[in-house]
Amino acid sequence: MRGPETLSGSDRLTGDAIFPAPRLPVKPLTREIIVIRLLLAVLAVTTVYALTTIDYGSTDLGQAVADTLLNLKIIFLHPGSPRLSFSTALYEVVITLGLAFLSTLFGAVIALFLGLLGAQNLAPMLVTNVVKAFVAFIRAVPTILWVLIFAVTAGLGATAAVIGMTFHSISYLTKAYAESFEDLDRSVIEALKASGANWGQIVFQAVIPSSSTFLLSWTFLRFEINFANAVAMGAAAGASGVGFDLFMASSYYFDLREVGLITYIILAFAMALETVATTMKSRIKDHV
Amino acid sequence: MTQVSQLLRPPLLEVSHVVKSYDRAKPALNDVSFSVRTGEFVSVIGPSGAGKSTLLRCINRMTEVTGGEVHFEGVSVGKLNRKELKRLRSKIGMIFQHYALVDRLTVIENVLHGRLGSKSTLAGALGRYSRDEKQQAMDVIAMLGLSEHVYQRCDRLSGGQKQRVGIGRALVQDPKMILCDEPIASLDPNASRIIMDHLKAFSRTMHITLIVNLHQVDVALKYSDRILGVNNGRLVFNGGPDELCPERIAEIYGTDTAARQEFPRPGRAPEDELCQLTSSSNVATRAYSSLQSWAR
Repeated sequence: MRGPETLSGSDRLTGDAIFPAPRLPVKPLTREIIVIRLLLAVLAVTTVYALTTIDYGSTDLGQAVADTLLNLKIIFLHPGSPRLSFSTALYEVVITLGLAFLSTLFGAVIALFLGLLGAQNLAPMLVTNVVKAFVAFIRAVPTILWVLIFAVTAGLGATAAVIGMTFHSISYLTKAYAESFEDLDRSVIEALKASGANWGQIVFQAVIPSSSTFLLSWTFLRFEINFANAVAMGAAAGASGVGFDLFMASSYYFDLREVGLITYIILAFAMALETVATTMKSRIKDHV
Repeated sequence: MTQVSQLLRPPLLEVSHVVKSYDRAKPALNDVSFSVRTGEFVSVIGPSGAGKSTLLRCINRMTEVTGGEVHFEGVSVGKLNRKELKRLRSKIGMIFQHYALVDRLTVIENVLHGRLGSKSTLAGALGRYSRDEKQQAMDVIAMLGLSEHVYQRCDRLSGGQKQRVGIGRALVQDPKMILCDEPIASLDPNASRIIMDHLKAFSRTMHITLIVNLHQVDVALKYSDRILGVNNGRLVFNGGPDELCPERIAEIYGTDTAARQEFPRPGRAPEDELCQLTSSSNVATRAYSSLQSWAR
């Protein structure tokens, strides 16, 4: 005889006869789930097939992997350069920082106004839709393409890079700012409207003071992104700065040790930026 | 003497046949008419969704009416242009259930926001207030008992203190009238009493007209000169607190017969009648008992 404590939950339903417990799916097996699973299976099969049948030409796969690792070792473990002095490197990084700073500054100023027009609680529906569509269009075109478009008028160089990066900063920050503004309680705007305040007064007395920390942290984030972009623009659009040196070292001098040195310099500056941004943010949060 | 001159003058606020419908289905306000004299303390009671807030918002055109007219100081509110509307709104203060303060700003900054309506756009946007305005704000803050919190951020205050800041913001407007949308619905009984006492004092000593939306019938009975009952978008009661018998309360709240049967056996009325009533299901029953305590 079996005691009742040996019965499991599903057994109890069927009494004495012990049937295997039926499956209890958490999610029902709908059409969408079947389609997604099929898609994943097809992708997995094609990936494996492509990797096994790829034509490596005359490359010896083992040798290639070993060479790559050796190059990485030279880059990261033996950085140094006979050409690049410390002061020149520093100067070039400051140029890159300048590109990032300018495009963030221009972007932030323009995005502040576009953001106000793009926030649903501050502007009529029609205006917000136009602003959002415009901004989405800018964002859909990659930064480098904007830079090359402006290179037609400004020539390849720092000017085109700043204008192009400003474009992308505007679109990114407008979206971020508009969403920060929309976070503000509707009733606050209503209350000030009810006391006779007009749009400009409400924006500068209630909306911007309430969202200032969000605005600042989005702007810092964009500055960090623009720093990385500025390095890439230096290489791709001849905008000078440390990116251009990186491009020269890797494509013309084939100096892996210099590539390593520049990578470390960029890394150090990115970390310094991050630290500064974090401390500033926490200070603002405490005091404003 | 003053009574006679009051009667001869046109009423401060006249709401005539106001209709407001958000969609075609059912109007939120249906043919509402009443008038309010200077210095009167008027409470608006009624179940949730009856149209109390809409009624209040129609007065200063935060909501546009669909039909009918609102006259304030003899001027038709609906015909005002933007500039005149701004001037009208600066004469009417408004207080909200959830305070509607800018949390990140200090008490005095929030109070000074009440002055924005009477300033130029630029001076207001930059926050340039004159010495007189700042002194007035300080006086109002002192009167509301918030002197030690003048430079404190509003998110550090309690609910009752926040509501007093909201009142301060309405007061520095030098308003003829203050509209209060559920001013004590989120507050504890003690804070509620402080707020209601302040409001009552304004109507008595400063002759500011008050229109207060309330959920608590007992509070309305205790403080009001006149009570308006709204149900389903219609004005179903308009009279003094002494005319508000249990049957009328039941009518306003649309209570069913089951609740009405409880009336003949009222228990002992609670000592502190403030904020006893929150659930609207047996609100009429409880209002009756508090009516008795109020009449004592």
